[in-house]
Amino acid sequence: MAKTDVELAVPVRRDPWITRDKVVHLLQTKGLLIAFALFLVAFSLASDRFASVDNISTVLRQVAIVGTIAVGVTIVVIGGNLDLSVGSLLSFSTVLVVDLHDKIGPGPAILIMFAAALAVGCVNGLLVGFARLNSLIVTLGMLSAIQGLTLIYSGGQNVDIADQEGTWFAFFGRDFLLGVAVPTWIFLGLAVILHVVLTRTTFGRKVFAVGGNPTAAAFSGVRRARVVFSTYLISAFCTACAAVILGSRVMGSQNNVGQGYELVVLAGVILGGTSLLGGSGSIPKTVVGVLILGFIQNGLLLLGYPYYAQWLVTWVVIILAVWLDVASKRGRLFTTTS
Amino acid sequence: MKRALITSLVGSVALVGAAAAQEPIRIGITQNNVGVDSYQTTYEKAFIEAAEADPQVEAVVLDAGGDVARQIGQMQDLIQQGVDAIIIWPTNGQAVVPVVRQAHQAGIPVVVTNSQIAEAGFDFIASFSGPDNITQGRYAAEMMCDALDDAGRVVQIAGQPGYTTAIERQKGFEDALAEQCPDVEIVETQPGDWNREKAQRVMENFLTKYDDIDGVYSGDDNMGVGALNAAKAAGRDDLVFIGATNFAVGYEAMGRGEYWGSVYQSPVEDARNALATAKAVVMGEEVPFLNYFDTPKITQDNMGEFDKPVF
Amino acid sequence: MTKSPLRHLSRIPPIWMILIACVAFFSVFADSFFAIGNFTNILIQTSTIGLIALGMTVVMINGNIDLSVGAVVALAASLAVGLQADLGIVPAVLVGLGAGVALGFLNGMVVWKTGVDAFIVTLGAMMGVRGLVFLYTGEQSFFSMNFAYADFGMSSIAGVPTLAWVFLALTVIMHVVMTRTTHGRNAYAVGGNREAAENAGIRVGRHMVANFMLVGFFAALAGITLSTQMGASTPNLGTNYELWVITAVVLGGTKLTGGVGTILGTLGGVLTIGVLRNGMNLMQVPAFYVLVVMGAILIAVLLVDARVNRRVAGEVKL
Repeated sequence: MAKTDVELAVPVRRDPWITRDKVVHLLQTKGLLIAFALFLVAFSLASDRFASVDNISTVLRQVAIVGTIAVGVTIVVIGGNLDLSVGSLLSFSTVLVVDLHDKIGPGPAILIMFAAALAVGCVNGLLVGFARLNSLIVTLGMLSAIQGLTLIYSGGQNVDIADQEGTWFAFFGRDFLLGVAVPTWIFLGLAVILHVVLTRTTFGRKVFAVGGNPTAAAFSGVRRARVVFSTYLISAFCTACAAVILGSRVMGSQNNVGQGYELVVLAGVILGGTSLLGGSGSIPKTVVGVLILGFIQNGLLLLGYPYYAQWLVTWVVIILAVWLDVASKRGRLFTTTS
Repeated sequence: MKRALITSLVGSVALVGAAAAQEPIRIGITQNNVGVDSYQTTYEKAFIEAAEADPQVEAVVLDAGGDVARQIGQMQDLIQQGVDAIIIWPTNGQAVVPVVRQAHQAGIPVVVTNSQIAEAGFDFIASFSGPDNITQGRYAAEMMCDALDDAGRVVQIAGQPGYTTAIERQKGFEDALAEQCPDVEIVETQPGDWNREKAQRVMENFLTKYDDIDGVYSGDDNMGVGALNAAKAAGRDDLVFIGATNFAVGYEAMGRGEYWGSVYQSPVEDARNALATAKAVVMGEEVPFLNYFDTPKITQDNMGEFDKPVF
Repeated sequence: MTKSPLRHLSRIPPIWMILIACVAFFSVFADSFFAIGNFTNILIQTSTIGLIALGMTVVMINGNIDLSVGAVVALAASLAVGLQADLGIVPAVLVGLGAGVALGFLNGMVVWKTGVDAFIVTLGAMMGVRGLVFLYTGEQSFFSMNFAYADFGMSSIAGVPTLAWVFLALTVIMHVVMTRTTHGRNAYAVGGNREAAENAGIRVGRHMVANFMLVGFFAALAGITLSTQMGASTPNLGTNYELWVITAVVLGGTKLTGGVGTILGTLGGVLTIGVLRNGMNLMQVPAFYVLVVMGAILIAVLLVDARVNRRVAGEVKL
């Protein structure tokens, strides 16, 4: 994580006011982590359960589904687009994999589900990448269409896995490796891999180029359509991974199980400081954003606040976090617009 | 499903043509949210099947998708079409009162199904057909008292906030628990939104928060099984799980001895009861105002008497 | 990229062609579609989304967006119904409208002063305001004791429902505002080229705040008219409305990048969605298929639109 921070710090100019620059610099690069740490300390003081190993591993497991999707969506957003279809796609993929599990066995079920999810990613990628349609509206339309397809596929029935104890499918959602839950491994593993892809490969550089300055990218020979297409495949792939976790964890699925995930995912990505304008952002920061959301929710519940308190807190936290980011880049707190 | 509908359409068109003299009874239904869970889907299927099986009935089947405003629109559409009776599964018991009144004023009898309408609307409906959710909550409380020998600490996972069924079951449970075994304390209630995965997460948080929980009441078995998943994963197999609306997964868990009890409620019966009530109202027959169908307790002891739910 | 707003008025928004096609299709294939009673039903049913869309169009022409409208619908409805018993109907309704305007002001000020993207600001507000609704209502539905409130929602003037009149009247007013007033011209200028607008002396920040207040007002009004149809309010009211409103506005030809859009187009978009829903209901298309059709139509219209306006397609990006 330190590596990215250093890289992000490069564009900061040296001002004559060294001290202020340092504060700005610190806030810009570490602001989110500082806020996160303060949060953890505050909750730990307020609730004796919060900092327990049990609780932390529970939260890490619970955020794994949102986190796994968010990692993929981060790449779409860095490429300058949005993906609102992930919630519906999560429902669709989970229903598909759970339903096929008992019919054709876990292995083929997972394969077919990944193929179907990637096909949806292809459609998004074709429409946004090659047909150059607006990503917000395309994925909004897909959100509705995939929801309908899920219902048509299942006939509106819940799907269940009959033999919950005997299937190796249980590994993905319920098992532990070295004391850490498998969903957490999947989430963090994907995060590391995609972080490397994004920061160490030509493809990663192209994603930043396409999102940051499409015209310049085009001049330097980057094919925007292909890059955007690939980002949607990655997003669909991550969502399919999340569906495996979800299906295995619950051993069943409802047709609306992913409803609303797209917004929670987006909130995590934004909180991490990835700009919706594209061209900037990082996966480690998204991981932190998702963790903050997870710990806020968990902490408030442990303290006995009603579940909707987290929405109010999230409201304030998101705006403050992004404001901090924007303000430090601007070098002043408020805009000068009249 | 689509084919079923099309044949029903074709069938009804043919009926209108061939037997115009006989004038089929046109009954419109606006459901709450089909597809959100198996209960509602099975209900819809059973309703369509029952309507098709009855040559005298022609059904217009609509679904509000859980949106009150859309349901009001569908009611207005049905009034506009001049159906002979309307069955409504309220998305919200209070918010549909004015449009039910509108139907009443247009001379169309309204039958409320599954989930009761607010009292202010009682004057405008012909009958309520469905389960008694308050009683179901009470049943659950009685089973909880039995299971815990009248003392213990329980948590509650309620249905979607703001929905009548969720509110009534919660109220029935809380009131009866306080009456029948005041030493059983509800330590916390959180909504599970009729969603198994959400219920699982809520239960995980409960388990971290409280070491000494003895029982869990869930607004339906779908959520109850989610809570059971969480408890099993945490190695807490000493908890008593009680639910409502017995789902197939709940029935199976009961068979394995992991789930204590629930309330048996058949969507097929629910749907047939609604259609029969509406038809009787149109035919001018006398129907009871509260036409409850039986929703008995189901526990590990008596589950042999019940068929496994199909949903 | 500055465009004269007049250029967009000179042509009928293409969505009207689709609307006419839909009406023709359903008139042939759906019994009891082509009837005055049905058309007034469609008008009432679309008035909620339609009212919000009027405000949203202006905000989107500015190049902003407001995702919090669905939650504002619920808040305004809950306040207007919940406070009736203590304050009386009219003051309660005013409080509801005031809350919408106040939240619009808050959103606008945050967007203006912090420079954070409107999408993010209002995404936060969408969750937060829903939290306020649950906090205020304690998760309860409220019920108006006074049938006069619901009677207003069901009433008609000259054979057309009052709520439809309200919607149509406000549509006309907004059309005039956007085509004949300085504020309307400024909205296009700000959305088309913000720096140029600033240089031309438009006070962009204040202008945007005013528009957020406008959409807040319309969302609150939509919540209140909806609650008059129900004589009640529910805390879940308005869930996902932001998505339908944005869909309607975009169908109407407004560009998410700002600078382009008309009230007339938005009206067409709103009516198209209403007609599709109503027509598919009458044809008894199963609800599952309706979702697919709606999604497909949205994308199809976008595709057609992109082909027609190939020259601007390159710039379309959030």
